[in-house]
Amino acid sequence: MAGIKLQHLCKTYYINGKKIQALDGIDLEIPEQHFITIVGKSGCGKTTLLRIVADLEKKSAGTISYPDSFDEKKDISIVFQEPRLMPWLTIKENIVFPLGKANQKTVDSNANKYLHLLGLEGFQDAYPTQISGGMAQRVSLARTLCYGPRFILMDEPLSALDTFTRRKLQQEILKIYFTEKLTILFVTHDVDEAVFLGQKVVVMDQGKIIDEIPVDLPYPRNTHSDAFFRLKEKVLDVLLS
Amino acid sequence: MKYLHKLILPLFLLLLWGIGSRAGWFNSYLLPAPSTVWDAALGLLQKGSLFQHLSVSLYRVLAGFLISFAIAFPFGVFMALHKKTYSAFMPLLEFIRHLPPIALIPLLILWLGIGEPPKLTVIILAAFFPIFLNTISGIANCDPKLLEVGKIFAFTAREQFFRIRLPQAVPQILVGMQLGLGYSWRSLIGAELIAASSGIGYMIMDAEQLSRPDIILVGIFSIGLLGCLIDFLFLIISEKILRQNIRKDEVWPE
Repeated sequence: MAGIKLQHLCKTYYINGKKIQALDGIDLEIPEQHFITIVGKSGCGKTTLLRIVADLEKKSAGTISYPDSFDEKKDISIVFQEPRLMPWLTIKENIVFPLGKANQKTVDSNANKYLHLLGLEGFQDAYPTQISGGMAQRVSLARTLCYGPRFILMDEPLSALDTFTRRKLQQEILKIYFTEKLTILFVTHDVDEAVFLGQKVVVMDQGKIIDEIPVDLPYPRNTHSDAFFRLKEKVLDVLLS
Repeated sequence: MKYLHKLILPLFLLLLWGIGSRAGWFNSYLLPAPSTVWDAALGLLQKGSLFQHLSVSLYRVLAGFLISFAIAFPFGVFMALHKKTYSAFMPLLEFIRHLPPIALIPLLILWLGIGEPPKLTVIILAAFFPIFLNTISGIANCDPKLLEVGKIFAFTAREQFFRIRLPQAVPQILVGMQLGLGYSWRSLIGAELIAASSGIGYMIMDAEQLSRPDIILVGIFSIGLLGCLIDFLFLIISEKILRQNIRKDEVWPE
């Protein structure tokens, strides 16, 4: 299945004349309709990788190839670590923010669809300052879905949330992944989250991919099963090696 | 009842003024009694001259302020989006910013005559910098994280401006406008020093010539009260515009 292919991707920063190799020859294939998680310690280059794929930063070397009929502007989007909602807009207006000059009927139908899908009904007229962090992150996800991308990059979107909200949102993300037939590249520093969500866990360290571990567990995953625990241990071993 | 405590200090000062005048603490020529000032105000109101002077001044302030906004806002937006041009203009603008508009009056009379233009120019200059500088700051200091949201949704430069930069800058632009409006009022007397034959500033200067401190005080109180009223109206309009300034404790239950 065609997908996005990263070949020998490099990113070098110079800070006060000192060279920092944020990405060092990343090769990764992200097949369409796959859920891939990237796990690694802070500063290993996960976010830089995502930002380069999202075209928010320029790569120093390497290539990114997209499948045929892929619109680099329209078919890809990102959910950030922070919700980044527009404080002057209501929740509904934030969700339909990417639609721009679409007619009112399209705006309303999209708003209703994603308010329902993310369980945000009843909050449509609230403002971002009035809702919790978990709600705000749901709005951010709804906004990205409203844009209609085939490929979604997620940069630790649940890292600021409490354990309960986090698990609830992980399940919602999986539900959306299946119903919307998306391709997701999800960055996290939480091994449990990486194994719970991904079909493949990519382990990164010092700007390199050090292992790719397939997760052949059926959804929904039981986090207390032996198989889940063994996979978590395996990822941790790679990370700590 | 909510605002009652705000009236305590002004009422206390008024009472002190009244008692002091009655007890002879103040020279009535330097500070007439409140009752004298009140009588003068009623007399001016009955003659209609207070309303006439106030309406002329109000027209000058509003016209000057609106012209100032019409120049400062687009100029500020342009400078915020063209940082190199701004840095080229900055020394000159800094120089002008430090000039009190009143200091320019003699030149303005020479250049523009003694009609309305120099008076309006003083008010325009007074209101210009708060609006201009707040517009620059609001537009230029837009949160880059929000701009990235526009970038991932493939916004054009125009969309970035009208859908992210400008709405985010609105609170700061409104602060600039509020300051500008206040500065316009404060420069009014200076503006009406220029061969005026009407306006509250003229009324005050005329009262000075006639040795009528009671009328001077009526003029001062009128400017203060009208300034407060306009500021209050401006705040109400601002709050309607700034929908995000909703009380933070109004949390929606999950």
